[in-house]
Amino acid sequence: MSPLRARWARVALAVAAPALLAHAAPPDPRPWGVSLVDVGEKAGLRVASVYGGEASRRFILEANGTGVAWIDYDEDGRVDALVLAGTRLAPGGRQDVEWKAGEAPTNRLYRNLGRGAFEDVTERAGLRRSGWASSVCAGDYDNDGHLDLFVTYYGQNVLYRNRGGRFEDATAAAGLAAGRRQWGAGCSFIDYDRDGRLDLFVARYLDFDREHAPEPGCMWKGFPVMCGPKGLPTDVNQLFHNEGAGGFKDVSEASGVAKVTGRYAMSTVAADFDGDGWTDVYVACDTTPSILYRNNHDGTFTDTALESGLALSESGRTQAGMGLALADVDRDGLLDVLKTHFADDIPALYRNLGGGRFNDVATTAGLSVQNRHVEWGGGLPDLDNDGWPDLVYVTGNVYKEKGDWLKDYPDPGPRVVFRNRGGLRFEDVTDASGPGTAALHSSRGAAFADYDDDGDLDVLVMNMNAPPSLLRNDCTGCGHWLKVKLEGTRSNRAGLGATVVVRAGGLAQAQAVLSQSSFYSHDDLRLHFGLGTLKVADSVEVRWPSGAVDKRTHVPAGRTLVVRETTAPSGQ
Amino acid sequence: MIPWLLCALLAQAAAASPPPAPDPVPAALAAARAALDAGRPQDALQKLLALGHPEDPRVAHLRGVAEYRADDYAHAIERLTPLLGAFPAGSSEAREVEQVLGLSLYLANRIPEAIPHLEHTREWAADNMELAQVLGMAYVQTAQPDRARASLARTFGVPPDSAAAHLFAAQMMIRVERDAMADEELKRAIAKDPRLPHARYLRAQAALFRGRFDDAIALLKGELEVNPASAMALYLLGDAYVRQEKWGEAIAALQRSVWINPYFSGPYVLLGRAYSARGEPGTAEPMVRRAVEMDPNNRAAHYLLAQLLQQTGRAEEARREFETAARLQGP
Repeated sequence: MSPLRARWARVALAVAAPALLAHAAPPDPRPWGVSLVDVGEKAGLRVASVYGGEASRRFILEANGTGVAWIDYDEDGRVDALVLAGTRLAPGGRQDVEWKAGEAPTNRLYRNLGRGAFEDVTERAGLRRSGWASSVCAGDYDNDGHLDLFVTYYGQNVLYRNRGGRFEDATAAAGLAAGRRQWGAGCSFIDYDRDGRLDLFVARYLDFDREHAPEPGCMWKGFPVMCGPKGLPTDVNQLFHNEGAGGFKDVSEASGVAKVTGRYAMSTVAADFDGDGWTDVYVACDTTPSILYRNNHDGTFTDTALESGLALSESGRTQAGMGLALADVDRDGLLDVLKTHFADDIPALYRNLGGGRFNDVATTAGLSVQNRHVEWGGGLPDLDNDGWPDLVYVTGNVYKEKGDWLKDYPDPGPRVVFRNRGGLRFEDVTDASGPGTAALHSSRGAAFADYDDDGDLDVLVMNMNAPPSLLRNDCTGCGHWLKVKLEGTRSNRAGLGATVVVRAGGLAQAQAVLSQSSFYSHDDLRLHFGLGTLKVADSVEVRWPSGAVDKRTHVPAGRTLVVRETTAPSGQ
Repeated sequence: MIPWLLCALLAQAAAASPPPAPDPVPAALAAARAALDAGRPQDALQKLLALGHPEDPRVAHLRGVAEYRADDYAHAIERLTPLLGAFPAGSSEAREVEQVLGLSLYLANRIPEAIPHLEHTREWAADNMELAQVLGMAYVQTAQPDRARASLARTFGVPPDSAAAHLFAAQMMIRVERDAMADEELKRAIAKDPRLPHARYLRAQAALFRGRFDDAIALLKGELEVNPASAMALYLLGDAYVRQEKWGEAIAALQRSVWINPYFSGPYVLLGRAYSARGEPGTAEPMVRRAVEMDPNNRAAHYLLAQLLQQTGRAEEARREFETAARLQGP
């Protein structure tokens, strides 16, 4: 009998094997009660985020757009909305438009006044600035209790020190002035050496020379479109060590971060991916293998994305990594990863197998029913508080030159929503999630927070050359919830990099406190856990970036639990 | 000036002048044409540049053709556009100018502009297979499916309203990723001939790509009814089952595919995945190694092999396979 025949005999005799990896039981079967309604205009978020040409995009510089953030910058207990913006090229030219005085587009900070209203406080907060903004990350780098910001640009990145409700540009004083042309992409504050001070990781997209960039002539589905990133020179990522006293030192080479080359780096997330208690950095890379900078515990990093299963698709193919999100979609207490991609592809949903290994389960999870959109900002928010993180991403094609000919690849596009049905299965509920999902926009960044403190997660979205969307979640019949806010003592003040595990009803939910996630954006630092029908969480465990672990038990739902770091790290 | 006087003056001038030097243009054009015919467009261009007389329509014409042959479509278009009407209608020069201009515009992705020139060319080259193909693709790109089908039917030598014509049109539409248009053609092909092979297979391919696995499986079962020995249909059926994690069904379909065509690496990769998922790494590994052996540039095979090696504790070998998979991603 030939080997193949022998194998066939085995196949023929085989009975259906049990699933190797038992998935948790499905959540409660209540109807989907989520309705996302865009209340941005009504709430006062009215200024368009200028970003590149409105009718066409000649260069990739105009295509990627920018992020948004939920930050409580004035510490009044309400999260405020930051919406970044870009600028525009002069018609037919390669230089920026010269705007009339006072008309240059700027990032906008909207202060949350409560009762659903916001006011534009950009000027008095010191955030007026015009340029090609990319991403935002937040962290209290000087541990003074005020949340600081870092905003990346094509051009000079900016460190904003929060002086108690007013930001000052601390870039030069911190030693972060660039000596050359650069295109800042994702960024994350991260305490990689456990000294309690936040260091800074900065991704760079590519080395874009606007004077010599090729005119549109690359092809997409038969249409000549702008070129890139393929064919354009790459750049390397950066790591800056916080030296204290407001200063940073470039340790990109010494840390091994700059050794990873040949990537078009975009969004970043900094969290403990392998459960060793040290914060790692994952970088979504466009059309090149993504990077997992594993923390070696000695001030250096090694890219382990390939062997971790986070570099490529399930079939070993590079994807156009854009946005990232972390949550525990199968409720096994481990952080799983969402990565968004280009059209004709689906997001990656990397299930955490433990021990630093991941497996892309996007196809079997049901995400492949939507694959015509360019996916940008995304998250794994538990929109209906049933305890199972759902999946949201915003869309927008980058090629305007295709006109109306490719109706299947729309720009503007919808917001896509998948409901987590448990058992690593997701259901496309885009059409059942309210008018805010059906409304078409060319969106980029997205961030998640319960801005109106009504107990469900809302979404802030950056729209290209349009005002932002504020998707208020009008959830009916949704479950109980618990928010967790961290206050580090040995760790950094905001607890960035910490993993929080809530146990309830026999299942776990893990989340991480992140400086950046989604596409170039920043979520509220209060972690939001759905509890379904349960009114009490059995326990809340915080694994601090210092290595310490704090635990609270029997925590009632419907409140924000503030956990202050109390215990010493193990071994101390 | 009256005409008879002009003629007289010209005759007088001719009589007074020395005998004219021989016209260098025809010989140079012949040499350039010979270089073109020998597949040396750059050589032809050099000869034409050395000749001078760029304003001479004969020189500009051949230079435009040479630029087209040298893949310099922008200059070919620039050179040939003013020559429309410069040569007598129906002359070989006029025809070549229009044909090469149409092709240059097509290849420069100025497809709507290319179509009238290609259509004019078709009037005197109705049987030209390549022209019919290019014109058919131009119609596809400009969303004119009926014209596309008629032109492509000429290319493939089938009646324009036949089921086969719809199938060929769909296949060519898929090549340029016009999936929705292709699907309509395929539906019409099946309606005209329910037993036409390959139509359901192509529809299934699209369904699989779009994540409609149940549709894909139904279409593939239909394909196998009319085309039972299709190794590719069985392979795709196995792929659909793999994506649904129906390992037993997947293995059966893939194994059948391999028996029919053992020379394609795709089914071996999927068999490796299926056996691995069923917890049979010992069976999976030889399958994947066979795929690697058959197709050393198959990145999916190397990636899966790396995962299998990792799962079975052979870290160093796994690392090498991961690196190979990454290297095969291309620039």
